[in-house]
Amino acid sequence: MIEVRGLTKRYHEVRAVDSLDFTVRRGEVTGFLGPNGAGKSTTMRMILGLDAPTSGTATIDGRPAAAHPAPLRAVGALLDAGALLPSRSARHHLLALAAGNGIPRRRVQEVLDVVGLGSAARRAAGTYSLGMKQRLGIAAALLGDPPVLVLDEPLNGLDPEGIVWMRRLLRGLAAEGRAVMVSSHLMNEVERTVDHLVVIGRGRLIADTSMAAFIAAHSSPREVVVRSPRAEVFASRLAAEGAAVRRGDDAQSLVVTGLTAPVVGALAAARGIELHELAPRRPSLEHAFMELTQDSAEYAATAGTGADKETF
Amino acid sequence: MSDTSVTTRRPLADRTLPGPQERGRATFLHSLHAEWIKLRTMRSTLWVALGTLVAGVGLAALNGASAGGEHATLAPADQAVFDPLGTALKGYMLAQVTLALLGGLVITAEYGSRTIVPTLTAVPHRSRVLAAKGAVLAVAAYAVGVATMLAGFAAGQSALAGAGAPHVQLSDPESLRAVFGGALYLTLAALLGLAVGTLVRSTTATVTTMFATLLIVPAFGPALPGPLADWAAVYWPPTAGGQIVTGYRDPALLDPWPGLGVLALCVAVLLTAAFLTFRRRDA
Repeated sequence: MIEVRGLTKRYHEVRAVDSLDFTVRRGEVTGFLGPNGAGKSTTMRMILGLDAPTSGTATIDGRPAAAHPAPLRAVGALLDAGALLPSRSARHHLLALAAGNGIPRRRVQEVLDVVGLGSAARRAAGTYSLGMKQRLGIAAALLGDPPVLVLDEPLNGLDPEGIVWMRRLLRGLAAEGRAVMVSSHLMNEVERTVDHLVVIGRGRLIADTSMAAFIAAHSSPREVVVRSPRAEVFASRLAAEGAAVRRGDDAQSLVVTGLTAPVVGALAAARGIELHELAPRRPSLEHAFMELTQDSAEYAATAGTGADKETF
Repeated sequence: MSDTSVTTRRPLADRTLPGPQERGRATFLHSLHAEWIKLRTMRSTLWVALGTLVAGVGLAALNGASAGGEHATLAPADQAVFDPLGTALKGYMLAQVTLALLGGLVITAEYGSRTIVPTLTAVPHRSRVLAAKGAVLAVAAYAVGVATMLAGFAAGQSALAGAGAPHVQLSDPESLRAVFGGALYLTLAALLGLAVGTLVRSTTATVTTMFATLLIVPAFGPALPGPLADWAAVYWPPTAGGQIVTGYRDPALLDPWPGLGVLALCVAVLLTAAFLTFRRRDA
């Protein structure tokens, strides 16, 4: 279990992390989300004892990461998959980390096999693809068979097969009773993988809630997408029924708010209007996240992009 | 999820999670082992070791041959201060730079490749990490140093003998002091590199600093303003330490062991600064 209490990191006058409180529980995958520059990596570094907090505490199973007698057995971490000496083999990279914690050599081969790098273990790490480096980083995190895992953007650079593998791995680790903390910008993937969400923006906690509750609380009103060759006629009809209607991706498409899909369909049938598409827009984590973090994004593009461009 | 069962030998849910304290404690010996693996698998280590040997032997042979050839033409006063020991061990001038570079790389390679993050995640005990690096480096540098000084001594003396100039035996107490003390000097140079590398974190800046400290200041010391030049000629740590490899005693300079002591003291001060900085700084 990771417990973060009043965690603050100030660089000169800037509060990169500001009075954070949250808990990452065993048996769950906790998604750690926030726009770029929100303070995610800094928070993770403080949890691992790499950076010293200005104030507050972060503990792993009751004590700071550095206070564990064999830290790799208490917490496994992947912060930066590219942190490798290019000329050193993956196997030697892991052997050195294992040796520092008195972890036996055979465990190195075990974790290499778990991540599917068994046959590439003797290659220089500099020859690895980004996806392979991510797998090697996961192998390092698993070395000590730790009850807590902290993974910063583990999905970056993975191919589709790798993403499915990672999803299963994370679910499996949580099912084994471990506390798994994962940051990612891939909202669709987070939505499929995590149980709990901790969202931060500008260093502050914005949300600490279950995935379902988060989406329910932060989704826009339900929208229905309609396509019809007589879109303009239908639009005025819908507006007359009290719906808010706006133009969709092209001249034939409409985005309707305020009426449910069955009602829209019934109206079309009653008026004899031909429909090519009638689809309720599913509330997604991506939408909910954008909605919530719009104001706290460090480097936001002009408003209006993103949310309207959702594809199905 | 059947494919994830391989992540651990037993699913954690089926057992009471053991507290970390029951699962072994990481010690300084573990860190020594880890740092040895890292040093051994750094590509530069081999090149530095080979380069040090080649430079040491090459300079000794060249110096021996040329100085030996000139010896007969020297004035009697110059012949009296001819130093066959120092001539054969001149290779330490280059060896100190290569080993200081290795010392710097032990830590700057970690910052350059950002492996300092996994290193300190595995062993957050900063002093232990740096002490283990220093110990492993010192042993390796001393081994390379002894090999370089011995080979340089042999090559240099045989070149001098070949030119018909005076030469000395390894069994002379002065020769033993210069060879094994010289290896200590090289070890201190490596530790100096480690200290500076820890403080500045950049390979380039470390190399530049080492060149200036070990070669440029001693060479251009006489160009400094009077009192400073006098001080540097005697007490500049690498100059003072360098007395350990000479046979001829200039009464104005420090004796070999006190001279090496000055260098050791300087390295100790910088290493202390490195430890304090390394402990406090964010990774």
